[in-house]
Amino acid sequence: MSAGTTQERVYCPVCQAKFRLNEKWKAGDIVVCPICGQKLKLEKTPEGWAGSRPNKGDEKEIRDRVDEYARIKGYVFNDMKEELIQGLLGKARRFGDFYCPCRMEHVPEFMCPCKPTRGGDVDKLGKCYCGLYWKKT
Amino acid sequence: MTAKPKVYALSTCPYCKRTRRFLDDHKIAYDCIEVDLLDDPKQDEVLDEIEKLTGRRSFPVVIIGKEIIVGHDETKLRKALGL
Repeated sequence: MSAGTTQERVYCPVCQAKFRLNEKWKAGDIVVCPICGQKLKLEKTPEGWAGSRPNKGDEKEIRDRVDEYARIKGYVFNDMKEELIQGLLGKARRFGDFYCPCRMEHVPEFMCPCKPTRGGDVDKLGKCYCGLYWKKT
Repeated sequence: MTAKPKVYALSTCPYCKRTRRFLDDHKIAYDCIEVDLLDDPKQDEVLDEIEKLTGRRSFPVVIIGKEIIVGHDETKLRKALGL
């Protein structure tokens, strides 16, 4: 175990995965999910640590998530970025959350960054399904 | 060219928007179905149709006569439309 971490984990409601809690963190802190880039407010629940989405559904939430995810993974964008962000905002307005703008399915695994992207599609294929995230060349 | 081109699109997909803008800019009349905005039974029917035509569920799909174009591809659109 590295310094500053515990065995406890934090549940992220976006990627539905758990990441390690830093022992310096406390309830109410804003942290970034290292798996999907979502900003989370830490909460201690009876089931353990969880993060809530402070700006759920807001434009700021998805813009921050997209930028954080690209920063964490070292991915880049191209000139389609703004149109794809508008597509994500359209999904949130019409279908309740930031699902991939180029997919029909409105299920948690296709919330941006979608599960295939988190599983390494960008590294394997050079880009994600909709072309928002690109591997640096 | 006889029948009006048909576009299957998603309302949130920027590539679908580009295809529609291309057709609009070239004053091509077409029918467009925004598949994600259909009610469930109609959506199932249309998705089955798209899968039969293209073997997948990828958008946009443009049908121009016998040509089926999947994805936004201006070269293929020009060729199929004789532009």
